[in-house]
This record gives sequence, C-alpha cells and structure tokens, in this order.
Amino acid sequence: MNGFSLVSLYRSLVRHKLYAVLNIGGLAVGIAVFLVLGLYVRFETGYEEWLPHHDEIFLVQTEYTSMGSTFSGAFPNTMGGLLDQLREDFPGVLGTRVDAEAFNVVHSGIGIQEKGALVDPSFFDVFDLPMVSGDGAVALDDPSSVLIDQPLAQKYFGGADPVGQTLNLTVRGKTKAYRIGGVFKSLPKATEFNFEILTALPKTVDEPFWYHWGSTSLFTYLRFGTPGQAQAFAARLPGFVDRRAAKDMGPNASRMMKLNLLPITADHLSPQGGQADSTRQVVVTMGVVGVVTLLIALVNYINLATARSGLRAREVAMRKVLGANRAALVRQFIGEAILLVALSALISLALAELSLPMVNAAIGLSLSIPYDMVVPALAALAIVVGIGAGLYPAVLLSRFPAASVLASARSPGGGRSGARVRELLVIFQFALAIAFIVGTIVLSAQTAHMRDADLGFDREGLIVVRSLVETDTGQRQSMLAAFRALPMVRAVTVADNNAGGSDNNNANSVPIPGKPGDGPSLRQIMVGPNFFGTYGAHLVAGRLFDDAHGADDFSKRTKGGTVNIVINRRAVGVLGFSSPAAAIGKTVGSGKYLYFHIVGVVDDMRFFSPRSTMDPTYYLYQPQLDDYAVATLRYSGSRQAAMDAVKRAWLQIAPQIPFDAATADQRLADLYKSDDHAVNLFTIGALLAVLIGCVGLWGLASFNTSRRVKEIGIRKTLGASSSDIVTLLVGQFLRPVLIANLVAWPLAWVALRKWLAGFDDPVALSPLYFLAASLLALVIATLTVSVQSLRAARSTPAWALRHE
Amino acid sequence: MIRLEHIRRAYVSDEVETIALADINLDVDSGEFLAIMGPSGCGKSTLLNTLGTVDRPSSGRYWFDNNDLAIRDEAALARFRAETLGFVFQSFNLIDELTIEENVELGLAYRRDGRADRRRRVAEAMDRVGISHRARHYPNQLSGGQQQRAAIARAIVGDPKLILADEPTGNLDTENGLQVMEILGSLNAEGATIVMVTHSPSHADMARRRIDMLDGRIVASVARAI
Repeated sequence: MNGFSLVSLYRSLVRHKLYAVLNIGGLAVGIAVFLVLGLYVRFETGYEEWLPHHDEIFLVQTEYTSMGSTFSGAFPNTMGGLLDQLREDFPGVLGTRVDAEAFNVVHSGIGIQEKGALVDPSFFDVFDLPMVSGDGAVALDDPSSVLIDQPLAQKYFGGADPVGQTLNLTVRGKTKAYRIGGVFKSLPKATEFNFEILTALPKTVDEPFWYHWGSTSLFTYLRFGTPGQAQAFAARLPGFVDRRAAKDMGPNASRMMKLNLLPITADHLSPQGGQADSTRQVVVTMGVVGVVTLLIALVNYINLATARSGLRAREVAMRKVLGANRAALVRQFIGEAILLVALSALISLALAELSLPMVNAAIGLSLSIPYDMVVPALAALAIVVGIGAGLYPAVLLSRFPAASVLASARSPGGGRSGARVRELLVIFQFALAIAFIVGTIVLSAQTAHMRDADLGFDREGLIVVRSLVETDTGQRQSMLAAFRALPMVRAVTVADNNAGGSDNNNANSVPIPGKPGDGPSLRQIMVGPNFFGTYGAHLVAGRLFDDAHGADDFSKRTKGGTVNIVINRRAVGVLGFSSPAAAIGKTVGSGKYLYFHIVGVVDDMRFFSPRSTMDPTYYLYQPQLDDYAVATLRYSGSRQAAMDAVKRAWLQIAPQIPFDAATADQRLADLYKSDDHAVNLFTIGALLAVLIGCVGLWGLASFNTSRRVKEIGIRKTLGASSSDIVTLLVGQFLRPVLIANLVAWPLAWVALRKWLAGFDDPVALSPLYFLAASLLALVIATLTVSVQSLRAARSTPAWALRHE
Repeated sequence: MIRLEHIRRAYVSDEVETIALADINLDVDSGEFLAIMGPSGCGKSTLLNTLGTVDRPSSGRYWFDNNDLAIRDEAALARFRAETLGFVFQSFNLIDELTIEENVELGLAYRRDGRADRRRRVAEAMDRVGISHRARHYPNQLSGGQQQRAAIARAIVGDPKLILADEPTGNLDTENGLQVMEILGSLNAEGATIVMVTHSPSHADMARRRIDMLDGRIVASVARAI
C-alpha cells in the first residue's frame, strides 16, 4: 500500500459513509459478541485454574450405579471417613477433606453466619492456598486456631493484622474462642470452593455415618505427581471398595458404588447425580452462539467487501494503466482489508468494554477483558480475515484486462456466479438468525413455563426458616409457638425438606411384596403437623396425616412394624399401582425395616431444580420432628412485614444463631437463576446475531440496488410502476430468506429438543414457535430491504438511465 | 398527435441552474418520422425523454392525443409508457440477466397482457427484426447489431403509437446502422410515428422532417420533400 492507496481508502470510506458504518460496525459487533461470550466460556471452563498445580489435584466422586435408584449417578462428595481408610490401605497417599458448613461468628452477642470449612491438617499438602500472613499448615495443626480470608480480617479486625488475635466461633454447635493463625487471599470467583474460614477437622469424629459406606457427607481431594499416577491409583479403587464396603453393602460393593477421580478443574461443569448436564450445555451453547455470531459477521463483511469491490473495477483498471502490477494491486486490496478488520477489532474492544457491565449484571458475574491475551488474538484475526476478505476481490479484479473494463459501460460484479455466492451467504446468515430467533422464543417459553408451572403447592406467601435446624429442642418449641402467635402467620409446619430443597437428601429402597429384589428407590421426606396444609398441597386420593391415627406417627414405630405414609403421584406408578386410588390401603416395604401402609396420595410437589427429575417420594409423619427440622410459614399480607416479624421473633429467642430465612419464591428463583442467566445471554447474543444479519442484508440490498439503478430505469421506461419495482427488489431478497427457513427449522428443532431434554417438565416444541420466528425474520428482512427499494423505485427513469 | 407548449426543463444543483430545454414548442403528427439533430448538450435527449415521460418538464404543457400528460401522476405515466410508447437507445439497454425473449416480453408483462397474447406478439416482433434464432440467448452473447434489433423488437412488440429512438445507430457499424434505419423506415411506412435523435446527417435524411437544436431551443425545422 502506498500513500495514495491510503488516501483513496480513507476518502472512499468517508464518501460511502453508510457502507463503511455497516461494514466495519457490523463486524465490530460480531467480534464484540464473540469476545464477551468467549470471556464467559473461558470463565466457566477455567474453574480452579487459579490454584497452583491444579492439574495434580483430583476430587473423589461417589458414583451409585444401582439401577432405578433416585440417587444414581456421580456425586462430588464421599463418606466422611474415606480418607482415613485410603491412608490405611495406600500409605503415603496425599489428600485432604473439605467439609463446608456455616460457622457462626459471635460478635457483640449477636451470631453472624459466615461460610466455613473443616479441613484436614494436610490441606496445604494438596492446595497451595495463597496466604497473606501467617502459616496455614501450622495453623491447621492446632485445633484451636483458624484461618480467615482478607475480607473477614477487614470486617472483624479492621486494618490491624489479626494473626494472634481471637474470634468467638460456633462450630458444630460448640462456641469457643479461636486464635487467628493466618489470613488467606479471598477466593476468586471461578471456584467451587466457598469458604471464608478454615479450621481443622477434629482428630476423632463422633458421627454415626462417618465410616458408613453408601453415605456422603464431605469432599475428599487427592493429589498425585502425574496424571498417570492418578490413573493407576483409580484402577485400584474398585478392589478397595469391595474390601472396605462389604460390611455395609455386602459383597461386590463395587457393582453398586464406585469411587472416581475427577480432575478438580472438571468439577464445575460436571452434573451431580441424576441432574441434566445443564451447566456444560449452557456453556457449549454460549460458545456456539459466539462463534456463529462471529461467523455471520465475517460472512457479512466478506460479502459486502467483495460485492463493493466489483464497483471498483474502473479504479483498478486505471491503476493498471498508470503502471501498477498485479502483485501491487493484490497487496493493496489485502492491506485495505486488514486495516478495516483491525479497525473493526478496535471498535469491538470498545463495544465489549461498554457492554460488559450490562452483561455482568445479566449473568451475575464480573468478567473483564484480559488484554494481554485478547489483543494478539484480535491482531491474528485481522490478518486472517483481512486476507480472506481481500484475496478474492484482489485476485478477481486484478485479473480483468484494463482496456475492456475501461471501455465497458458496466462494472463487473462477479457476474451471475458472484450473485449466487452472495445469495448462498445470505441464506446461511438468515438460517442461523432464524434458528436463533426460534431458540430465543423457545427458551423464553420454557423459562416462563417453569415460572408459571403448577409446582404442586401454593408457592406464594411462604417463608422458609432454615436456621431452625440450628436450634435445640427447647428453642425450637418456643420459636414455633412464637411464629404461630404472629398475627399475619396463618400456618406453621416443620419438615426435613422444603421448597427450594435442603442439604438433607434421604432415599430408601422400598420392597414391593411379592416381587423379588430391593424394590424401587424413593425419596423420603419427614414432615411435622400440618405440612400439606401449610404448603397447600393437592390431595389426590385417601387422606392426609393426623394425630387421631396412631399409626401415622413415625416416632411410635417398632422394627418390622407398620407405619402410615403419604406418597406422591410419581410414586404411584413406580410402586406398581395403576391409579392413586388403587394405592390407598396397600402396604409396601418389608419386615427387615418397616412396612409402609399407604393412606394418601398427593400431587407431586416440586421443591427442587426444574432440571432435576421429580423423584417418587413418600412422606413420613413425626409430630415432634427433631432432626433437620426446617420451618415453613404461610403468611398473609406484606412479605416484608411478615419477614420482619419472623426475624424479630427469632432474635428474641435465639439471637446467637444467625437468622436464615427466605420466601419460597426467592429460594425457587435461586434454582432457576442459572437458566435465567443463560436465557438472558442467549437472547442478547441472538438479537445481535439477527441485527448483524440485517446489517448484511441491508448492505447487500443497497449494493444490489445501486448496481441495478440502470436496470430499474429501463424497466420503468418500459412501463413498470413503482410497486412493480419494489416487488422485484424485495422479492429478490425474500427468496433467500424463505429458503433459509428450510435450513433453520431442522437445525433449531434438533438443538432445542436436546436442550429441552434437560428439563423434567419441558414445553412442547410447537410448530407455532417456528412459524413465528420465520414470520419475524420475513418482516425484518422486508423492512430492511424495502426502504432502499422504495427509494430506487421512486427515482426518475431518465436519471437512472444515465446512471453508470 | 403530440403538442408541446412552452416546455422548459432546468436542472438545479448547488445553486447552479442548467437549462436543458428553454422554450420548446413542437407538434408531431401521427405517422410522422421526425429526426432531432444538434451538438452534444443541446437538449436532444432531454427533449426525447420528455416526450417519453421519463423526464418531467419544469414547466409547460405536454398534450398527447389531447390529454395533458404534465399533470398525470407517476403510476398513470408508467401505464401510459407501457401502452403507448416504444423506446430504442444508443446503448441498447437490454437487461443482462434476462434472455432476448424475456427482454422483448418485459413491457408486455408490465401492461398485464395475457400470457398467450404475449407469446404471440414476442414471436412476431422478433421475427420482424430477424432475431428469432437468438431468442434464448443473453444480450452479451449477441453482436451490437443483433442487440439493437432485439431492442427494436422490444420497442415495437406492444404496437406503440410512438417510437422514441435515442441515437439508435450510434454504437453500430455502418452496415448494422443501415439495417436498423431500414427497419425504422419500414415501420414508419407501416404507419408508426417515430421521433429519433441522431448525429448522422444521412440517417436524419431518412426521416420526413428534421429539427435542429441548439442550447435548448429548436433553431430550424426542415421537412423533406417526398
């Protein structure tokens, strides 16, 4: 490129402002979308990479493989005492446990809940957690000291160095003063760890399930020198399970339960148990949206650039006449293209910076652009795309013999084959855009459906008080009485599970009399008085629990005796009954544990994520529920007033236990949050993809119309009316858009079916979604093209005929 | 058939007014063959475009068969062109993406003629100018003379009352030019009214009347003795 080339490039951009804006702006938006989504994908796939030696650390997964179990699948946690047994059988194995739970910091007489974790003193052998002050390993050797993160140090000790000072902590129900042994850097966002305080696990643990195979209670991490060592170790685990688990699970335990080593970096995107692989799916989807949007923008750019370059044939011919050789011309075209793409890339950086705050708000993250990585990548993009977009016109145009171009009245535009390539590219772009529109509609429909779906209970007006779990029996009795006394509270109940789920997940095999085997696995939920009434559950058949029936009371059970249960609708079929009514009065279970007499069937109550399957469930009744009792209140009137009143009651009775309560709506919204975020992000990406597609169509239409000005003149001279011309021009562009539908529909159908399969209660893929998207695309395309067509159609034919 | 009264056409751009037609008064009778001559920029083509209603006069009146065309709207003029006029251009102005046959048919399609009728007329017109054997070809596959004959076929296919020819021989060699003039002459002999702009005195002499223009005015009108 010489100076003249630069000058003529600049002037041509200024002269054709609209073209320049569309071409450069469209590409910039495309790159920006790709950048932002790329950052998101990078964030989601970069979990735990902040940890030094993260590739040496593995999480031990417990995988239940028994068929038909509610809880089959791999879970990230293990039996509490697993590491002790591993150490006994494999001396020298490097590992630590992390048992995350809430700690209460007692500060000025009030309990404040903080996120804590109990870990092995060997924690620092596995994790090189970056420290700010103090020695982490030393601190964990002392059961009376704790490590805290920087924000907590700031919160409780201000600017002073807290090492050596004390903090009153309630850990596992016992309050004492802990010495601060060190301060660690606060954890980054891209981590599954969630603790602010670390203290050592007690040397001996007095928990009934600590060495009970089949239970899961905490995370166990192992560290190996090389991946090969990890693999060799994993191969020895089935034998270990068979050996150790026999006492709880019988011989060949490894057929029912496996231990897997999961690279710690893969934990975040791995689904738990029977959950759908939704996080990974969302990340992949976003990656695809980003790549496709960039692709659309690139196609756009190349399309517009090559189309327009045809109009420059005369300039090229003139340059040849003046002595430019082919190589110089090719260099000029490619140089121009690289320059323009680089400009787009620069603008895209600005766009990404401007949009990140909004995107972060929409998805609840704090992404930022790592310039040291992005700038070289964009430079490479500019060169590759520049060459791609510049080469075709460069070679094509520089090949035209100068004399014939100068003599001809028409500019070569790549001819019929060029037009066909452009039409194909428009089909490609719009197919993707239409698929995106269908996707946006279906995703929104699914989220709306989840929000409005009947959950089997009345979700409005419920407050779940989780911190009731922390109270002792006396406190709990007075607390529940205090709640009942509140004027706006209409009903109060307790249960070991509640709307929004809980940490307490129990399942049991329920043998069916007369059938071989252990029977299907059902979720077990323990409920207190008026549970179904408080939730507003729908009774389908039979009756609910009441105190008049002695056999309803689980606490009065005897081993091998019979206790009454209520089951949900899903359990009816699983237990082999033809209808809810048919289940009433029947008995399941076995004398080994208990017989269950079915007295009632309720509609499925969806307490958990819409992505996890609805479990077949049976409910047990305990008038004085002790274990894991979470309170649920039904109130009337203002939510805030109710919440305030409940909190005041709480603070009067148990001020030292942090109050933890939320409405059922809030708790359910948390479960839906990741899907909401995905839908938001997808919608933004899809809208921009459609926008870029329209920019491309607009540019192409304007190029085409300007190329056809003379033809329009001829047609008008021959008697064509303005509407004839508009029909002609619009029709020409509607054809590729119509064909694009045929490509888009199967594409969207396959992708959406896969996505919807991740939900337990998906919406049906109605053809209406597809028709609506196509209609929308047609309307957008028509509007885009008709503005220019109208202008072209209105020009006087005499002017058009003179136009070259 | 045609009467132009005080036709004036001025182009205004950036405060500069260019007068293409100053004060044109002209009558054209039915069946006439009128040649317009004059140096480049004298307003010949503007006059032809005005007659063809593809350019609007700034002022003045244009009577065609006693209808004032100056007051008609765009849609009416488009219909008028499709039904009444035939155009022949120096650079042929065939549409590259359409075959010769389709080019010839185009005007009839805008008149909404029936399909069978259109086929018959197209075949006749192409036959008339001797281009039938190239019906399925594209314009760029034809020689200049053939293209111009195709353009004439397009001009006459609708039986127009008036044929407007803008330097129809300008891009042709002598022999092809003569052929085109012969076709126009025989069309006129059969009763077509023709107005032709030309630079060639010999071709102008083939018309029955010739007007000379200079600076947007008619400066001479010479009728050829028959």
